[in-house]
Amino acid sequence: MIGGRTRARLLAMTVVLAAGLSACGGGGSSATSATTPTGTGTSTGATAGADEGTAQRGGRLLVAMTDEPGLLNPLFTTEAAADVSRAMVVEPLFQPLADGTYEAFLAAELPTPENGGVSRDGRTVVYRLREGVTWSDGKPFTAADVVFTHRVITDPRSTAAVASAYALVRSVKALDPLTVEVKMSKPNPRYLELWDVVLPQHAIESTTVTTRSPQARLPLGTGPFVYADWKSGDQVTLTRNDAYWRDPELPNLDGITFKLTPDRQTAVSSFVNGEFDTIFYLANSDLPDVTQAAESGDPIEVVMKEGLSYGSFLWLNHSAEGDGLEPNPVLGDPAVREAIDLAIDRQSIIDQVVDGFGEQIGSYLFTGFAAHEIEPAAFDADAAKAVLDEAGWVEGDDGIRVKDGVRAELDFTTVSGNQSYKLVQQLIQQNLKDIGIDVKLRTDSLTKIFAGYQDGGILANRRYDLMMSLDGFYADPADYAHVFTSASIPTAENPNGFSYSHLRLPAFDRLVEAAGQTMDEAERRRLYGETAELFASERISLPLYATKWGWAWNEALHGVTTDAWDGQWANPDIASWNLQR
Amino acid sequence: MVTYLTRRLLMSVPLLIGISIVVFGLLQATPGGPLSNGGEGAGAQLNPEQIERLRDEYGLDDPLPVQYLSWAGGIVTGDWGTSLRTGRPVLEMIADRLPATLLLIGLAFVISLAIAIPVGIVAARRQHSTFDYVATGVSFAGFATPSFWFGLMLLFLFSYSLGWLPSSGLEDLRETHTGLDGLWDRVKHLIMPVAVLALVTAASLTRYVRASMLEVLDQDYIRTARGSGLPERTVVMRHALKNAAIPVVTVAVLAIPELFLGTAITETIFSIPGIGRLFIESADQRDYPVLLGILVIASLLVVLANIVADLLYALLDPRIAYA
Repeated sequence: MIGGRTRARLLAMTVVLAAGLSACGGGGSSATSATTPTGTGTSTGATAGADEGTAQRGGRLLVAMTDEPGLLNPLFTTEAAADVSRAMVVEPLFQPLADGTYEAFLAAELPTPENGGVSRDGRTVVYRLREGVTWSDGKPFTAADVVFTHRVITDPRSTAAVASAYALVRSVKALDPLTVEVKMSKPNPRYLELWDVVLPQHAIESTTVTTRSPQARLPLGTGPFVYADWKSGDQVTLTRNDAYWRDPELPNLDGITFKLTPDRQTAVSSFVNGEFDTIFYLANSDLPDVTQAAESGDPIEVVMKEGLSYGSFLWLNHSAEGDGLEPNPVLGDPAVREAIDLAIDRQSIIDQVVDGFGEQIGSYLFTGFAAHEIEPAAFDADAAKAVLDEAGWVEGDDGIRVKDGVRAELDFTTVSGNQSYKLVQQLIQQNLKDIGIDVKLRTDSLTKIFAGYQDGGILANRRYDLMMSLDGFYADPADYAHVFTSASIPTAENPNGFSYSHLRLPAFDRLVEAAGQTMDEAERRRLYGETAELFASERISLPLYATKWGWAWNEALHGVTTDAWDGQWANPDIASWNLQR
Repeated sequence: MVTYLTRRLLMSVPLLIGISIVVFGLLQATPGGPLSNGGEGAGAQLNPEQIERLRDEYGLDDPLPVQYLSWAGGIVTGDWGTSLRTGRPVLEMIADRLPATLLLIGLAFVISLAIAIPVGIVAARRQHSTFDYVATGVSFAGFATPSFWFGLMLLFLFSYSLGWLPSSGLEDLRETHTGLDGLWDRVKHLIMPVAVLALVTAASLTRYVRASMLEVLDQDYIRTARGSGLPERTVVMRHALKNAAIPVVTVAVLAIPELFLGTAITETIFSIPGIGRLFIESADQRDYPVLLGILVIASLLVVLANIVADLLYALLDPRIAYA
């Protein structure tokens, strides 16, 4: 799916995030009227560098990119690196904003029940397209292209990798060249997530489009730039679309070159050194270096994202091994979960592991339109001990607690090869030892941990007690919340399930199911808020901290804004970027 | 000679078949497959039907011997398969990356020899001199230095601190240089990666040249040559070096596949689009067809290097005759 991104991509991205999740959807977004997608940014994020003086024309921007995508059409790959195309070459009907809402882009307006775009039962959505939009080859962009895109997605021989919101689409029909009517099989609150990539019908011969098709590799779009060249392993070159529909004066840059620099340290140092103008997705682990460089006077602009990005979670396995889903002998006790929550010193993890570039979180929903704030448990080892005492966990001779013959020992798995994770593991191990819980540390390869049920994956086969990894950065939490429902628990009957918790909680299931079918945004937000409260009170998993995220570019680059969901990237204002050397 | 060469080439066929079976089998035995790529984040990737279809398309459900035979048949007929990740033919992807790697390996090899031979000879001629001690010290240090660390240190010093050399790639991206200027631009980009790649090879070759020279210089015929009044230069260069070169040749030729493997680290640090990085990327993404293709090339290289070393023996030493 578009928002999910290949899990493996994150492997390369050290501690935290680099992958900007795109448009996971913002449900029935706040019905702000369609704004004109031209000019510099609106006001959400910090928009330093935008803009002193008049924009300069010309120049080629040099960008360091650490991961090379296999394909550049985001409709056919889940790799975050394919975001190079977004806003530069391909454009969405609805542009996702930093707060998880949308604004109309190639669409003339956001369809809402008020303007008749969404039927009363939520099963029919009428999308009205903007007039005068053209593909970069000059052909008009019409409803036929949208219909064609849907035919490609549903062609069984095509290999489109699209958001799960597409699964509800039953039929797509062009009412006239600028109007598309979509019928859904169920009310689909994520209808603004659709059509983030539209394919040009005139440039594609058949509805069967696979990874081998030229359009999957280098898409033709409506954006301000067109692909000029892709030297595999070396660089991706874009040049100016001279007939850009928004304004023939745009874009300001003559072109952009993405240079592959697979070593993050090299990329960051070269950028600081002035060899690159910016980095395609800064990682959290790059922040100390770039902020320090900016403070010491290097001509670098650093802007921190106002909200948070990925969260580090301590996943608790509520079930014992095996398909019976018997409660976990230790973690099945709510008192143990509460004690663990109280015993972890989140702030010292943030200070020691991410150099302070993080924030404690108490809610599993901390990003996106349904973000729901919950105060994280205050670090208090004594309170944690009291909880365990009261629940009957008595300290044994070795300092480890025992109850009914069960020793309070847990194994703790995380991804191998990641020094930061290792450090977090050790800190938590010490925290829990202090309250009488014995933790055995283990690491395993990313693939082994996340492999499916039949492939012997550690998560899927619940061969863990505690596990740590990143998640939770979504504009729309629908798929993410679903992971914690009973329906997602992998078993022999449901081998494709994916769960972090292996817990059956009917009340939680009902809330997620209801939220997934509610068209009213406020009501949906309320329902997700309830799931978050339940999540926290049952301690389904323990949110630890979320990392801060930011962007950095050379001061010679002007006009950068960071108010899109992906901040600096997948942002229509890229057309206004200009170099003043 | 021709018969020998033919025989060696024929003998390498079963060897290569054996290697290919082992390589293919090992990849199959690693946990997880190309389509069970896991990771972080709750989002699903391909849906089960798509996975089924892809498994079918790539024949992943066929019995292993069938998969092996169709793959090996393709290798022989020039169809090396299609990358699972990019949908491009494997041979085309490898061909894209080969020039950069060959350039690196070629330069590193020539420079290693250019350092090792003179330094080794002088160190042997003046055994126990200061020069000898320094050369020995430096070559041991070269052995012991991890190349990723050496690369990062060079970067730190020459790119970030002094700003003399560019940190990545093979050419200046800001402006195009032509003629002599272009050549200088290319040289500037190559200095550090070639130095890193050549470090270990140069160090080990120096040791071999020195040891081999020392042994030869002790021989009776060298004393005879000296005694017959030949100038020292002729003694060393014509009589000693040729004999000392025989064991060195083996080591030097076999250093080529080693250099090939070393490119993985060098290319990653200095952002050079070569085979080594393609290998790492493909391993990361479990792109088996590409991985297998690169492994086939690496095995070919090792086998060929062995044959070449043996042939060079015969050329250098008339006592060795292959019939």
